[in-house]
Amino acid sequence: MKLNKAQLLSLIRGVVSTAPDEIGCDDCFDKLNEFAELELAGKKPEEAMPLIEKHLKKCRECCEEYEALLDSLRAIK
Amino acid sequence: MINLSDKRKNPDTTFNTNEFWVKSLTSPADEKVIAELRSKLIQGLKPALRKYVDRELDAFVEDIAQDSVLKILDKLQSFRGESAFTTWALKIAVREGLSELRRKKWNDISLHDLNYNSDENNAEIRSPVFSSSDPHPDQLTHEHMVLEQVMEIIDHQLSEKQKTAVHALLVQGMSSTVVAERMGLSRNALYKLIFDGRMSIKKKLEEAGIDVSEILQDG
Repeated sequence: MKLNKAQLLSLIRGVVSTAPDEIGCDDCFDKLNEFAELELAGKKPEEAMPLIEKHLKKCRECCEEYEALLDSLRAIK
Repeated sequence: MINLSDKRKNPDTTFNTNEFWVKSLTSPADEKVIAELRSKLIQGLKPALRKYVDRELDAFVEDIAQDSVLKILDKLQSFRGESAFTTWALKIAVREGLSELRRKKWNDISLHDLNYNSDENNAEIRSPVFSSSDPHPDQLTHEHMVLEQVMEIIDHQLSEKQKTAVHALLVQGMSSTVVAERMGLSRNALYKLIFDGRMSIKKKLEEAGIDVSEILQDG
C-alpha cells in the first residue's frame, strides 16, 4: 500500500474526528426515512438526530443515498 | 379501522395511508397496489438516479423498481410507521439502485486486486509520497517526522484486513458497498472495521503525545 500525502492526511483527519459514539451504516439507514422527512418539512433533523448527521458526514455512500432519497421524495410530492 | 372496499374506489386518498399500504401488500398482496408501488418507485428513482446513469435510464430504473418491490414485500413487517410508507419504500429502492450502479462501476476489480500484502507494502506505507509544493525545508522536516510517526502507528495498529479495506477505500477510491461485498462483509461491518482501526490509531496517537493539528492545518 502506498499512501500519498493527501491520502495520509485524509486518513489522519478521519482518525482525529473519530468519536466513540459513532453509529454504523445500519443504524443510519434505519432512521434515514425519518431524517429525510424532517429535512423536507423544514425542521432540523441534525438537532433531532445528531448521530445520523455525523454519520452522513463521515460515510460517503450513506450521504449519497440520503441525497438521492431527498431527490426522489421531492419528485413524488 | 380502514374500510378497504370503500377506500379502493378512491386511490388518490387511500394510497396516502401507511395502514392501507401495509394491509394491501401483506400476502396475498393486492396486484393493483403492487403496481402502484412500482409506479411510485419509478417516479422517485428517475430523478434520483439520473445523474449516475449514462444511458437507458428508464430500463435501469424499471429493473431496480421491480427488484425493490420484492425487497419491500420481504421487509414489510419491519416497517414501523415512523415515516410515510413511500418514504420508507423509496429509501430501500434508492439504496438498491445506487448499490447496483456501484457494482457495475467496479465490476472488473476482483478480490485479488484488493489484497494488501504487508511484506511488500509496509515499506511504502512508511514512506508517504510528498507533494513537490511542500513549502519550507524546516516545516517539511517536522511534517515529515510527524507523518513518519503516524505511519508507524498506522502500520502497527491496523490488522491486515483493515489495511486491505483502507487500501481499497482510500487509495483505490472504491465504493464501500463493493469493498464490503468483495471482503464478505456487510457495509455496516466494514464501517465498524474501519471505525475500530481509527479508534485504535487515535488512542495510540494520544498515548504517544503526537500532535497532528499542525500538519492538518495546511492540508
